[in-house]
Amino acid sequence: MAKRVFEIKVGLFFIIPIVLMIVFVVLKLGYSLSTDTIDVYLKIDNIKMIKDGTAVKVKGYDIGRVVSIEPVYQPELHFLVTLRISDQIFLNEDCVAVIQNQNVIGDAIIELRNPVKKGKPLQPGDVVEGIEYVSIEALLGDVHKLLVSVTDTVNIIKDISSDSKQDIRKFLGELSASSSTLSNILDDSQADVVKTMGTLRQTSETIKEISDELKKRPLKFLLKE
Amino acid sequence: MRLWGKIENFLALTGRKVIAFFSGYIEFQHYLKSIFNSFKSLKYLRLRSLYSTVLLQTKYTGLDAVFLISVVALMLGATVIIQASQKFPKFGIDSFIGDLLVLIIIREIGPLATAMIVTSRSGSAISAEIATQKQNHEIRSLELLGIDTKLYIVFPRIIASILSIISLVILFDVVALAGGYLISRLFIFIPPQQFLATIINAFSFEDLLITFLKSLMYGILIPLICCYYGFRPSTAFQIPIYVSRAVVRTLLSVFIVNALISFLFYL
Repeated sequence: MAKRVFEIKVGLFFIIPIVLMIVFVVLKLGYSLSTDTIDVYLKIDNIKMIKDGTAVKVKGYDIGRVVSIEPVYQPELHFLVTLRISDQIFLNEDCVAVIQNQNVIGDAIIELRNPVKKGKPLQPGDVVEGIEYVSIEALLGDVHKLLVSVTDTVNIIKDISSDSKQDIRKFLGELSASSSTLSNILDDSQADVVKTMGTLRQTSETIKEISDELKKRPLKFLLKE
Repeated sequence: MRLWGKIENFLALTGRKVIAFFSGYIEFQHYLKSIFNSFKSLKYLRLRSLYSTVLLQTKYTGLDAVFLISVVALMLGATVIIQASQKFPKFGIDSFIGDLLVLIIIREIGPLATAMIVTSRSGSAISAEIATQKQNHEIRSLELLGIDTKLYIVFPRIIASILSIISLVILFDVVALAGGYLISRLFIFIPPQQFLATIINAFSFEDLLITFLKSLMYGILIPLICCYYGFRPSTAFQIPIYVSRAVVRTLLSVFIVNALISFLFYL
């Protein structure tokens, strides 16, 4: 009896790790332990972010994973990615696959989306179109371009403001010069006005003398040679 | 004259070491040859006669080491996660933790730590047991009965060691990953499904194959070297010397094999 218990213990010692390993291999192959799975294909032009084991999700819920990637050479190079997914989730045959990053540095995921109008259910062996490819690298590239553009714009504005500052300084200098010139002109004009007034006064005195002479002796003044 | 004496002593010592190394290497080669020759007569052996030895050795090497292996695995898994959480950025670590655990625990530390524990626990015991049997003339008695001692003593230990190490490595990896996950929950929340998915994604069949290869190599090496040193002592006084030598040289061999396999497959 003791030997029997001993044998059972040693047997369990072998069986438990082997079972754990088999479960792991089954999961790695993309099968689910709790539900049945179906294999469908994803047709896509670019497999940059996809690899064996990439998660397949619906509304963020994990329903399967990529089990193989095969190239198709005709008519143009594209790829058929085998998705092993749970058959418990209702998916239309017209559903689309969006390849996206789950976070900034995380792996890519394939998000399956049903169309608004419901149709026939997705069957094993059906082909799903990959319609969108949101690459985090491309996104970062765009952000980089945008930042470069913003930097250039800021530099241009800086240059413009620097030039404008110089122009304003120049304008103020010139304005100051103009003001002093005007002031000089005004000063000069004041002297001329006094002089003109003096001349006018003399002229008026002369006219007065003529007028008096004319009043006293009009004929003599007129006939005077 | 005095300087020349020192040089002579140094040269003699170096020569003795080199000769000892090569003679040891040749003796080990003879031992391996005798083991392979013994395996040829395996078909004449009743496997039932080895069953009890395999069972007993498996219990001692594998089953009795489960608790120790689990504790070490838990601590190592936790250590890796603690270090990673301190040194790596928090942002996005949830998708990185699986890769890290697979890279460090499953690929390297798992098989290596298991081999070290098995060597220190069972390797020394194997050497001491065989050396004591030799001193008590039990091995001579078996030979007189016409039993191939290499086959009867070494073969069941190799089988038990291979099976035990494979099981222990799997258990080590599972416990270390579970421990790592539990500790990581102190710092960040990762849903269990996501953690499992990252581990599965990070782990490849190549890793599985290499882990098996390492386990197989350690399973053969540890009993082989320890049995060799168990057969060596000719007096009771030499038993601890050879037991110590068995453990040290087995550990050295394990490290060399580990580095070689990693070099061949991952570089």
